[in-house]
Amino acid sequence: MDKKKIARVTSFRYQILALIFILLAGGLVLLPKYQKQEGIKSEALLSHATSPERYISTDQIANKIINKDPSFILIDVREEESFKNYSLPNAINIPLAKLFDEESLPYLNQSQFDVVFFSNDHFYADQAWMLCNRRGFKNLRVLNGGLNTWFTTIINPEKPSQDMPAEAFELYATRKASSMYFGVFYPDQQAVAEESISNTPAPKKVITVQKKKKKPVEGGC
Amino acid sequence: MKELEKIKRISIASTLFILAVLIGVLTFERPKNMYAFNTENTLETLTTTSYLISMDELDKNNSVLIDVRSQYEYEKGHLENAINMALPEILTEENQLILNDLKDGKTMVVYGKNVQEANMPFLMLYQLGFTNIKLLSVKLDYLQNKLIVSKEEVEKPVSNIQDFINESVKNSKKPIVLEKVKAEPKRVITVQKKKKKPVEGGC
Repeated sequence: MDKKKIARVTSFRYQILALIFILLAGGLVLLPKYQKQEGIKSEALLSHATSPERYISTDQIANKIINKDPSFILIDVREEESFKNYSLPNAINIPLAKLFDEESLPYLNQSQFDVVFFSNDHFYADQAWMLCNRRGFKNLRVLNGGLNTWFTTIINPEKPSQDMPAEAFELYATRKASSMYFGVFYPDQQAVAEESISNTPAPKKVITVQKKKKKPVEGGC
Repeated sequence: MKELEKIKRISIASTLFILAVLIGVLTFERPKNMYAFNTENTLETLTTTSYLISMDELDKNNSVLIDVRSQYEYEKGHLENAINMALPEILTEENQLILNDLKDGKTMVVYGKNVQEANMPFLMLYQLGFTNIKLLSVKLDYLQNKLIVSKEEVEKPVSNIQDFINESVKNSKKPIVLEKVKAEPKRVITVQKKKKKPVEGGC
């Protein structure tokens, strides 16, 4: 009797096996689905965001612009209006809202140039940096302090007071020179220029030395 | 005999298969710290919504303050009832548990030494799906070891640079007038001379 039952069950063995596999396959479909993540992992992004490596100082940028360094492009993330009023030389305007527009992607997603973001402060520039960094774009930098620091350090540098070290004076001289490069005039600049013109070598003076006339010998004692 | 061997093989293969599937299901690990928004969504909310709140707008009963400065700075002084969560540690399991508890309730308000510092953790948490998060626009300073909270305006230009340059060009065209330094009038101090007195008699 038992043997008969077993035999009947075993005759369905392939169907039973197939059923189990189908059930398992169904289980795989029910597994929770995760949206494919865009860009780099959140942990990596956080570690990038924590490091201050992305900041570039205004002095460095000024130096690069003056030396006509071709290795970087400047991206102004402010509104178009402020961009038209004043921006860094040769900057490209990509307002934050249009960051991922099709026209702006060729500038951001390339590995040839360093991309330097800037805004009035580095608040919006940082946001642009983070979103682009998450997408895995390379060579992204942020101008530390943005245009406000640009103004206070390069365009209108503070004169060091008498009790400051010599380095402060040197730095001031460099900054003042670069501000002249960026179009600022100083009242003493003209005076210096005029002075240098008037410093043409003076005509050689002919000094005539009067020769002592030989006098007749006078009597001694 | 042949039939028996076939059954044996099939059963071994199927048990192995089932085992493999079971192991796969059991070890399936949920990836941690998933983004809830992609970069385009995030950018859209950043540019269309106001995520900044000032100290005056802060509803103290309905929000939780999160201090993203380092622990040392937090212990030195912090806003009332703030939780410390330094930027490099916001993704740790511990902190994520705390944040997940806050997810559907009070508003999370992030602040740091200044707005720029709090910007990064704010954006990070927003992308991870914490939509009830705001950024407190304050600046923290110390005066004689006392914490001073001042308002900070984000992205406010300090000065109109173009105007400054134009002004400097204009000024340079003016002839320089050297101001003559006026010599200070000499101060005359009159000293009363002692009058010579007639010689008085000695002893």
